[in-house]
Amino acid sequence: MSDFEPVPPASVVLVSGASRGLGLAIVADLLERGVKVAAFARTVTPELEKLASKYPEEAHFGSVDVTDEKAAQAFVKEVEARLGVIDGLVNNAAIGQDSLHVHTSSDRIAQIIETNLTAPLVLTRFVLRRLIGKGLKGRVVNVTSICGQRGYQGLVAYSATKGGLDAATRSLARELGGRVLVNAVAPGFFASEMSAVLGANQLESIARRTPSGAMTTPEDVVPTVRMLLLEQTNINGQSIVIDGGGSI
Amino acid sequence: METLDRPAIRKLMGEVLAVQGKTLPADDAAKLADIGFRSLDFSELALRVEDEIGDELNFEAAGLRSIETIGDVLDLLVEIQGQ
Repeated sequence: MSDFEPVPPASVVLVSGASRGLGLAIVADLLERGVKVAAFARTVTPELEKLASKYPEEAHFGSVDVTDEKAAQAFVKEVEARLGVIDGLVNNAAIGQDSLHVHTSSDRIAQIIETNLTAPLVLTRFVLRRLIGKGLKGRVVNVTSICGQRGYQGLVAYSATKGGLDAATRSLARELGGRVLVNAVAPGFFASEMSAVLGANQLESIARRTPSGAMTTPEDVVPTVRMLLLEQTNINGQSIVIDGGGSI
Repeated sequence: METLDRPAIRKLMGEVLAVQGKTLPADDAAKLADIGFRSLDFSELALRVEDEIGDELNFEAAGLRSIETIGDVLDLLVEIQGQ
């Protein structure tokens, strides 16, 4: 007879990079389901302020740059005092890239790595230390990208960080021995992001080449993040691609 | 920062094409697709300009997507040097 005890659903979730897009959609979805949610971004947007007014007891938002280790750690302690120990973490904060590697400055490469890889690893470490130190279980969801698994021009450093986070997801899941479930969601390109750099014809062409016929939206990704945080699935150490089959 | 003017960049562009056995047309309106000047050729040209001016030219890829003619290439490289 196994003494396996499942990891309970997350009750206090911290989402980084929640000012807009996927991060904001994850925050709104979890609050709707009665989960206590803390979130930070460089700027607390009107959308986040609206959610804070709607859920005054369950939401706690702050203005923090994810690369500011001290500020992020102070925010975690603030959340703990206000909502309870964080037992769910969504590493979503990231910066993008649209430049060929040979024409990307070394400073910009360092900035992408610091924001997209170092910062989430450091934040995860801090949250886990507080969780494990209290004898609790939890869940981590890393938002990576299809770029971590497939090659795309103009995204070399960005892809390296997302692939790195996918790799860390697997190793962390192994290291934490089932006490904390660690997974990643790897979305395809969001139409909203791509529209900034591609024309309408190119977007239509990408959608046509995608088996589902549509590019990914934040709303497509939210249910999987919710499942990984709240459902009993035994999924652990996985990077789940959500791209309409565009990469198959 | 030292900069290269359009004629100097044009000369370098001709050298990039010459290595591939191609000739740079005199007309700035000539299409890149017609002369076989691809994005990596643009990178090579930009790196040659860097060598001449002794400084790095780092830029977003968005500008590259809209270049269609020889004139576009020259305009973009002049613009990038000015940033």
